[in-house]
Amino acid sequence: MSNWHSQHLEDGLALRYLDGELPARKARQVRKHLEACWQCRAEMEDLQTTVADCMRYRKQVLATQLPEPPNAWADLSRGFDGIDVEMAAEPFWKRLTHFPPSLMWSAASVAVAVLVCFAYYQLRETPSVQAAVLLKRAIAAEQARPAGPRRVHIRTGKPTSAAVLFAAAHYDSADPLSARSFSTWRAQLPEKRDEIENAASCSVGQTGRPLGTPVQGCYLLRTSTTTGDVASASLTLRTADLLPIEGRLEFRDRNWIEFTDLSEVPDLHDGSPVASLGELPVRPAVPSRPAAIAPGETASISDELQVLSALHGIGADLGDPVEVKLSNGHVEVSGVGVSAERQRQIHRALDSMAHVEVAFSDPGAAPAPVQATAPERAPVFSAPSSATTKLQTRLEQQLGGRAEMERFSSRVLDWNEAAMARAYALRALAQRFSQDQQSAMTPDDRRVLRQMAREHISALQAHITGMEAALTPILSALGAAAPPPPQPPAFTSWQAGAEQVFRSSRRVELLLSTVLGVTSGEKPSADLPTNLLSALADLRVNLDQCNSLLAR
Amino acid sequence: MDGHLAQILSHDRGLPALQAQVTQLFEECREDVYRYLLTLGLDAARAQESAQEVFLRLYASLKKGEQIQNPRGWIFRVAHNYGLKVLTRQSAEYSFEPDFESWATSPARSPEHELLERERMSRFHRAVENLSEQQKRCLFLRMEGLRYPEIGSALGISTSAVGEFLRRAMARLKRVRDE
Repeated sequence: MSNWHSQHLEDGLALRYLDGELPARKARQVRKHLEACWQCRAEMEDLQTTVADCMRYRKQVLATQLPEPPNAWADLSRGFDGIDVEMAAEPFWKRLTHFPPSLMWSAASVAVAVLVCFAYYQLRETPSVQAAVLLKRAIAAEQARPAGPRRVHIRTGKPTSAAVLFAAAHYDSADPLSARSFSTWRAQLPEKRDEIENAASCSVGQTGRPLGTPVQGCYLLRTSTTTGDVASASLTLRTADLLPIEGRLEFRDRNWIEFTDLSEVPDLHDGSPVASLGELPVRPAVPSRPAAIAPGETASISDELQVLSALHGIGADLGDPVEVKLSNGHVEVSGVGVSAERQRQIHRALDSMAHVEVAFSDPGAAPAPVQATAPERAPVFSAPSSATTKLQTRLEQQLGGRAEMERFSSRVLDWNEAAMARAYALRALAQRFSQDQQSAMTPDDRRVLRQMAREHISALQAHITGMEAALTPILSALGAAAPPPPQPPAFTSWQAGAEQVFRSSRRVELLLSTVLGVTSGEKPSADLPTNLLSALADLRVNLDQCNSLLAR
Repeated sequence: MDGHLAQILSHDRGLPALQAQVTQLFEECREDVYRYLLTLGLDAARAQESAQEVFLRLYASLKKGEQIQNPRGWIFRVAHNYGLKVLTRQSAEYSFEPDFESWATSPARSPEHELLERERMSRFHRAVENLSEQQKRCLFLRMEGLRYPEIGSALGISTSAVGEFLRRAMARLKRVRDE
């Protein structure tokens, strides 16, 4: 997807585009590509024809051939009356919870407070599982569970940084998919309403089983509030062990953020979890094995390095959903949602290597192992809203109109996307091979490792140069001051430097998306242009230092 | 329609008004819900009863003060969950077998055209039947106009999983058309 002019649309993107389910920026890229590419346009029309077939099938077959309702439709008013009577017969404290909020607020505040306290006391005594109790139990289960990394897929409704959304929600971004984080968020709400559903028919992991057989149940906990940016948040807990498997925050501006445990993503029928979908993971990769393995008859750390180098050679370490793991004496390479052409390239690159097993998921196959990732506290920034609007207007004027602004944004965001892919890859490499493990390597292996890292840095530097060249004159014209000289980096190993490079890249990404209006925020700031130039300078210094450490 | 319904449901919640609103919604959507429940495997009688039950539950939830931003999404989510519960009590799953032999799309068309269309739809139906359960559910809900997050909420899966199931379903259906 990195080069929209020379590559065709990825499989699956077309339908999401037609269905209006792509983020605005990606949709714009697809639209631009379609204007230029006849092949993709023809395929898109083909897909549109299949959509039309579906609707014809609905109209001509389902609507006419499915059996008519055997009886006349009932008059629901009798059912309504039954519900009214049933609710009227409920105890007073229970009925209190049914009051519409508008009526609740119109009642005298003291009386309401007393009633709510009374209702709370009553509810606490009921045997049904209440939100606070459920969360308490889930937190206790969390604490009892062995600590280990989880891979969490984070998606947002609009192209907004996850860190910004978590910050706006006052929700812990370090470990979003946990009962503790949810509970902390919930506890700070001045006003809230909880709903709990004990869903025996929870569909997570249900696919592929015959209908009607017992399936893994879930508690669906949903808390809504009338205050703050977040309208509601939900957390799905697995009934068996109260493990959080999915969470979602809904914002009042219709944006949302969803975080899903990848081990629970349904994949049974098609054998393809959705790990490959959506944006790059926000979380870092962790080493795939605990320590270096001595060379021998089975695969060693050296073999793993060779595999990574081969994948790096074909660019398969830049966001492709390919996992590499040293396990059971083999280097296991697996992938889900990898295109057929990419699979062929990977096979060509790896098939001649000893101790390497390559397996891509096909429909009906078992899910591929997913690489564990550890949580990370995302940096939090406040982005301006009114100031950015003004800034974007000025930016448009400076660039010569909206169309020019669009082109400029696209170009710079493409550079940034490519830079982020490199920053992720560099950090993944640093986390996979620690300084100690690197010291234990043969000189040849060390050379291979350093070469890969240097290539990522060099590509990142090129992208940054492009961004600086495009942004500096424009931002300076908007009043950006020359950034102060960056502090010399304090890290002493390239591995630590890779982490710093990643953080600097994220900062650039956040500031850039704010300046270009891709992200909305709260606090106005006139310093954005200066801050962005300063962040770019910081990133460059970190890259230079990292490079010099690699050269030693 | 959703925006309008959401609007009317979020405002006046006086009892007669609320009943009128749910009744209006029932009349507009009951056939869609009934059809979805049939595709889920419920027999006609249970599908009809379940569809009615869903709207009574909607009324009860609204009466309790629940804020429902997207009634259509809510209805299909509850219909799906309730339908699965009912299905466990049903002795055999209803299987939809259209009668293509006696089926005519339009009397104005030529017999050759009729035959071709019949064969095409018959092939398409077989392809739909061969989709995985989850692909079928996503497809049927999408046909009913639900967006990916709404389908995800109804089925208890993530939005990206919905996209993937739909992609696979469409790829299979497209292959059938090309055959």
